[in-house]
Amino acid sequence: MLTYIVRRILSSVPVLAVVSFVTFWGLRIAYDPLLKFRSARNAATILPIQRKRLGLDQPIVVQWTKWFGKAVRGDLGVSDRTNNAVWGELMHHMGTTMHLVIWGTVVSAIIAISIGIYSAVKQYSVGDYAFTGLSYIGIAMPPFWFALMAIVALVTWPKVHWNLDQPIFYSIGLHGTGRSGVFNLDYYRHLALPVLTLAVQSIASWSRYMRASMLDVLGADYIRAARAKGVPKRRVVLSHALRNALVPLVTVMALDTAFLVGGLIITEKIYSIPGTGSYFLDSLSAGDAPALLGYTLLTAVIVIAANLVADVLYGVLDPRIRLA
Amino acid sequence: MNNAVDTSLFAPSGPGGGNEAILEVRDLCVGFPSDDGILHAVDNVSFDLRANETMGIVGESGSGKSVTSMAILGLLPKYAKITGSVKFRGEEILGVRDKDLTAIRGAKIAMVFQDALTSLNPVFRVGDQIAEAVSVHRKCDRKELRERSLELLELVGIPNPVARLEQFPHEYSGGMRQRAMIAMAIANEPDILIADEPTTALDVTIQAQVLDVLERIRDRTSSSIMLITHDLGVVAGVADRVLVMYAGRQVEMATVDDLFYRGLHPYAQGLLASLPRLDRRGDSGQLSRIHGQPPSLVFLPPGCAFNPRCPHAQPGVCDQNVPLLREVERDHFSSCIRAEELVAKGSES
Amino acid sequence: MSNADLELAVGAEPVARTQWQLFRRRFFKHRLAVVSLVILILITAACAFASRVAPYDISQLDLSLLGTVTGPSWKHWMGTTDSGVDQFSQILHAGQISLQIGFAVAVLSTLFGVAVGALSGFYGGALDKTISAFTDGFLVVPQLAILAVLLQYFGHSPRVIILVLAGLGWTYVARVSRGQVLSFKEKEFVEAARASGAGGPRIIVRHILPNMVGPIMVNLTLSVAGAVITESTLTFLGYGTQPPDTSWGLMLSQNEGAINDTAKLHLLLFPGLMLLIVVMCVNFLGDGLRDAFDPQATHSR
Repeated sequence: MLTYIVRRILSSVPVLAVVSFVTFWGLRIAYDPLLKFRSARNAATILPIQRKRLGLDQPIVVQWTKWFGKAVRGDLGVSDRTNNAVWGELMHHMGTTMHLVIWGTVVSAIIAISIGIYSAVKQYSVGDYAFTGLSYIGIAMPPFWFALMAIVALVTWPKVHWNLDQPIFYSIGLHGTGRSGVFNLDYYRHLALPVLTLAVQSIASWSRYMRASMLDVLGADYIRAARAKGVPKRRVVLSHALRNALVPLVTVMALDTAFLVGGLIITEKIYSIPGTGSYFLDSLSAGDAPALLGYTLLTAVIVIAANLVADVLYGVLDPRIRLA
Repeated sequence: MNNAVDTSLFAPSGPGGGNEAILEVRDLCVGFPSDDGILHAVDNVSFDLRANETMGIVGESGSGKSVTSMAILGLLPKYAKITGSVKFRGEEILGVRDKDLTAIRGAKIAMVFQDALTSLNPVFRVGDQIAEAVSVHRKCDRKELRERSLELLELVGIPNPVARLEQFPHEYSGGMRQRAMIAMAIANEPDILIADEPTTALDVTIQAQVLDVLERIRDRTSSSIMLITHDLGVVAGVADRVLVMYAGRQVEMATVDDLFYRGLHPYAQGLLASLPRLDRRGDSGQLSRIHGQPPSLVFLPPGCAFNPRCPHAQPGVCDQNVPLLREVERDHFSSCIRAEELVAKGSES
Repeated sequence: MSNADLELAVGAEPVARTQWQLFRRRFFKHRLAVVSLVILILITAACAFASRVAPYDISQLDLSLLGTVTGPSWKHWMGTTDSGVDQFSQILHAGQISLQIGFAVAVLSTLFGVAVGALSGFYGGALDKTISAFTDGFLVVPQLAILAVLLQYFGHSPRVIILVLAGLGWTYVARVSRGQVLSFKEKEFVEAARASGAGGPRIIVRHILPNMVGPIMVNLTLSVAGAVITESTLTFLGYGTQPPDTSWGLMLSQNEGAINDTAKLHLLLFPGLMLLIVVMCVNFLGDGLRDAFDPQATHSR
């Protein structure tokens, strides 16, 4: 198991190298690292010095190698915009993003799995058809539009209609002014809408997947055998069937990680949450190449790590799979 | 289809019988809706399973033998249309709530399935699956459960049971999986053990071992066994009585000896004749066979379902009414209208 | 299946027609897909001829309404915008760009993706390795981020948006079609064609591609939905369509302030509903096509 994980981590290095090189090169073409010196009064004397200092006189491969060598040691350079270390800034924003990632994943997984089980056990019932219809809408709906409609329906409308001082749910940030921590209602009133926005598409597609997987498993011989043993139906579904149906779902959930990270960009913008998605958008509008490069590498590492976790989980959930 | 059997036929058998019926199946019909119409998988099947006997149910695939057993335990899908009556120790168990059936399943009536690999849950340890069979029916602590599982694995003859408890089904060999299934089925010393083709997927030597385990267990726990198989050789070895099914209907029911030596239905006779036998070397050296194909269960031929393939079929007689199962000789039932003529023929030769 | 393909490859007219008839019969059995197709055609036509169909001229402001947002009414059944423009007319015009981008991206990325995927799957080797490494690389970075960066650099005209979206979209198509070509490569009818002396390009075009028509068409359909949503999302973030062009995404972006004013709800509702309806119809159409092309898959609904 351990050798498998180590080998997987090592084999992901080339992918990260290729991705970061392409990004590095592309950003070098798109953004002039010397831009801020060009308008200086003594530009003619400063430019060559700065070019040498930043290593821009060397071939692009050499420049990238130096950058990558530092990056694997946690040094992602300095932001053009804030002059702070990119690594530190990313970690800071990551802390905020993790609230959304953890809640979003947990909420979508629990709801999607519950709906999937219900729809499979009550196949072709009214509830099953209703969830099927909702999932078609959930998959087709642009998440940002869902966010806008959710704000109108759950924030603006109740506030206006019941003439409230404060809305029931908030649509800005993760905490009220002067508040912090996660053990207070204020946090959850802020969290509800962003998490819902992040989760809606995952719930729609994962619940369809869970339904299909569950139906598949419920038809298996070992389910019939478990019933013949006298295991009550509830336990057959929640223990024997669920455990088997979860195996393929885990892979799908991991493959959707890149999608989730993309969803953070939209969610964090709409709800003004200062996470990595906002960091990306701010860096992009400021033309902050080192920050964009750091963001790309970080998301790539996260997606690769999620896939590794999924494969390990796959091995844990299904004893027939041997990781080697 | 309205060939209701006279149920008085199965009243506790007369003199010499004395064995009370532990399971009474009456007029059992199972239909599955299909695109072409209702598929009659089981058509008016009635029989008794007596205490401490092994009854073989024989027929080719699609004859309704497995569906019969699943109907008894209420394991058929919801869309199956089931009518008739199944009484266990005098209590109706057909059509009762699933909740009430779970108390019977595994505890009073247990089942061994054909394909042990797919019938064992791949993600749970074998030991836990055996322990579950015990724990769903009676409260006991972990230590007791473990000891009981160990005991059961030993009973069915699995070597090194301590290590085997911790293994997953895919780490077992085919014969061992089937033994584990049997261990699970006998965990609560059930009154009835339904074994659905328990040896079909196994090598011949392993087959013999598994059958041996079944017999040993029957003698130890004095339970009744319903052995479902297409293999007459298996039946000859272990069964006391045999029920032969064809196209969802029962065609003959008799003791093993009566069936093998005084067959009263052309289908069962045909099946027997198609067996390779060492003691009766045919002149041609060829095995006889039943001509034609089994009929579609949606469009059954009129009259006796076997008549298009039957060498003794009489046009205008056999293709008119569905023949009823009747007691032709004592404790020997046949649905063939011409059963008496077959007896005469048999005694001639 | 391979029998029918041989006939198709020879160009036998009668067999090809019965294939087509079978396909049509199966498709028209899928009622939701048929309804979706009709709705899509209606919306596309209305948008394409917006200048004639639209009840109001969007360049001519209704001065009596200037500055006053009105909700849906008989006169303006999707209401009017901040500047007094009839929203229904605006939606038809905006649809032109949304749909244009959707269709163009789907066609371009499918054509390019199938070509690259087929070549890399069929010939394998270094070409395949390079392309696979490239397409796999795109899996680990969120699409939205790459697209935003590219659009920031290349500009925001509809033509640029189409090229950038297609420039990323083909990687998915290539991955899928590569896999299919790999499996067809081992099939008997391809070996038979090879044995009879057919060369690589001929085998790909005449024997493998005709077998992939179904999945390719389904993919093409579904990627229309993907492109429409992606365009609207990028535009909402500020990296897509920009004025004076307009699209449904841009309308939503411009009306974002309406979240604080329930009287302006219709400004958010209708452009979003158009997106939702188009994407749902495209998805249903894709389902219908999948079932019609692959009758075995119909049981799994």
